Amino acid sequence: MRALLSLQRSLLLAAAGMVLPLCASAQGNYEIQVYGADTVAPKTLMVELHSNYTVDGQKQLIDGVYPTNHQEHETIELTEGVTNWSEVGFYIFTSEQSGHGVQWVGDHIRPRVRAPDSWHWPVGVSLSTEVGYQRAVYSPDTWTWELRPIVDKTLGRWYFAVNPALERTWHGPDVKQGLAFAPGAKIGYDFTKKINAGFEYYADYGDLRRFDGLHDQQQQLFVVTDLNVSPAWEINIGVGMGGTSATDHLIVKGILGRRFQWGHHTAVD
Amino acid sequence: MAGSPSAMRGWKRARHFVLTPCCSSPERACRIGDTRPMTNAERWQLTRRSLVRSGLVGAACAGLAPLPLLGATPDATLEIAPFIVEPTPRHRYKTLAYNGQVPGPLLRMRAGQATTVEVRNHSTREEVVHWHGLFLPSEIDGAMEEGTPMLAPGETKQYTFRPEPAGFRWYHTHTFAGNDLTVGQFGGLHGFLMIDGPRGSQPAAFDREVFLALHDWGGQMLASDDGSMMPSYDVSTINGKALGFGEPVRVKRGERVMLHLLNSSPTEVHWIALAGHTFHVVALDGNDLPATQQKSVPMLRLAPAERISTIVTMNAPGVWVLGEVRKHVQAAGMGIVVEYEGAGGKPKWIQPEDLAWSYRQFGGSDNSRTVDASDPSEPALPIRLKFSSKFEGHGSPERWTINGKSYPDTEEPMLQQGKRYRLILDNQSHDDHPLHLHRHVFEVRSIDGATGMNGIVKDTVLVPAHSIAEVEFLAQHPGRTLFHCHQQDHMDRGFMMVFRYA
Repeated sequence: MRALLSLQRSLLLAAAGMVLPLCASAQGNYEIQVYGADTVAPKTLMVELHSNYTVDGQKQLIDGVYPTNHQEHETIELTEGVTNWSEVGFYIFTSEQSGHGVQWVGDHIRPRVRAPDSWHWPVGVSLSTEVGYQRAVYSPDTWTWELRPIVDKTLGRWYFAVNPALERTWHGPDVKQGLAFAPGAKIGYDFTKKINAGFEYYADYGDLRRFDGLHDQQQQLFVVTDLNVSPAWEINIGVGMGGTSATDHLIVKGILGRRFQWGHHTAVD
Repeated sequence: MAGSPSAMRGWKRARHFVLTPCCSSPERACRIGDTRPMTNAERWQLTRRSLVRSGLVGAACAGLAPLPLLGATPDATLEIAPFIVEPTPRHRYKTLAYNGQVPGPLLRMRAGQATTVEVRNHSTREEVVHWHGLFLPSEIDGAMEEGTPMLAPGETKQYTFRPEPAGFRWYHTHTFAGNDLTVGQFGGLHGFLMIDGPRGSQPAAFDREVFLALHDWGGQMLASDDGSMMPSYDVSTINGKALGFGEPVRVKRGERVMLHLLNSSPTEVHWIALAGHTFHVVALDGNDLPATQQKSVPMLRLAPAERISTIVTMNAPGVWVLGEVRKHVQAAGMGIVVEYEGAGGKPKWIQPEDLAWSYRQFGGSDNSRTVDASDPSEPALPIRLKFSSKFEGHGSPERWTINGKSYPDTEEPMLQQGKRYRLILDNQSHDDHPLHLHRHVFEVRSIDGATGMNGIVKDTVLVPAHSIAEVEFLAQHPGRTLFHCHQQDHMDRGFMMVFRYA
């Protein structure tokens, strides 16, 4: 109930005009999202608030990292369209937890390109790269880099997306680990024009050359719904369960996004 | 040669015509022989009456049909064959074309005079040629839904008909495209058709004619803003060429150029302006506007299948761009250079600030005349048609319905010959629809928020989303009559119905 109340509070804050949205690393639980291949249009700013509450997570302080249990993560994501095939995203991660108050966690920047429509590819394809810092009390690896290929396809009422992401630690305990494989995937079904529902899967298998044992892998499955109420708005709500002991067991997530066009626009534009 | 207005002007007229007694009314013969200059009022009355008469004459001559055997020397020949259209050196599309050119050749015919066209299908697809805007029997109108037989691959057939009414028409394929966005109207099978009326029947004086066709190429289905799938295009052209890659329209100072514009795009509405000039619109869909309703406007809007005939007085020497008003569409190529004799330099474009167009500006209030021969005091019989769509997923185009049903399950209303009907076009969908009635013309009575309109005679009308328009027509051409949205993807997905005659 607390999780729901917290989510509701966050959504209400955003609706009241606060500038708030979100980004995505399942294990980080700051942005829990499987990316689609499309990019934000030029002269458009996408503002998203990612609100994630860990109902049942890690309860111990490990290596100086705060426990995730009952952490409320609010992430603001600002994405500006550069061309009709590229964009740049910027993230502000925050955390609120009893005893720690509201804390700034870190920032990331994420350029992204995609295959232009004129290439007529049968699937949507894009590639993002994300670099950023997070405080050590929230993540032992403070500087990280991610390369995220994105492939998606809409077939009738079905939507499919896969994000076979590769992660690299630049500063922190895992700096010698090499590339880690952290895939995400999504399947959704249009029950109506406005309501899509389905599943999202997030994982971190560890080093790409030698996966961790199942016990140490992170795997989460979310039941999600996307509400297509307006071309200007993006709404995603989900409940996720961790399937391994290394994963937070229950998380509630929400994404509220709004596109803002800037500059002078007329019908001839 | 595609893209060359002067070349199109030189298209050879039909070689011979056959005038049969059943179609030569004394009144017409008199009018043809009358060389006295007509007043504008006379031109209007003639135009409106001629629509009626020609329709009745056409009905009387409805026995004309495709000749089963070849042998007659055709007045014109259309060869359907593969072709590569090249809007720019970087954009080449395999398509089908008439006579190896896009748009197809300009065909000129004399109104009411029997003409034979031979169509040879050298493609691997079944084809059919629709004579858009003519009052032809269902058997040769060019729509399989009306009963016109398809032309098999390799087949040749001759069609003999008496083209009516006079005015700017066009011909095009009328086949199913479905998920293949390179065939049907997505391809290059379209051309100009000018039906010349009696001498002196033109709605206004001009010095020369130029024919321009707007088209879009390289279509693919993409998600639109409202979440449904819509075609999106790589290149937009005028006469098959992108701006800067075709021959310019060369003009002389002081010339009055009659521009005949056709939007042959499979799905897109286009706005057109000519920098430094205005358009004096004299006819819509080839049907003359009354002189008092002709208007000078800064830009034109053409929905798919619509035509506009407009006179431009060339009084601003220079090199100009005639092109799409919307920046991204012109950037995709929709434009052509207009070059004055002796002028040089880079073509100049003056960007309009907004889109400006409404049918209302051409509407008259004189209700003493009707578009047809029916008694104007007799109310038209209403037929209400509601247009909506069924969502089939964000990854699939919507299924279109008329009164809740998709073709071929749509209703087939029964018409009585000689009765006048009012179509109440209730567009409950999120899209604008260019609605076309085969084998007839109609008069637009209400649209764009205006009611009681007179004088706008068309065969295709764009009904905005979430609005109701009303048009009236006289049921005077017995036979199956197709009514549909002229967007290829919409008609392919159910937006069609057939009217039958009792």
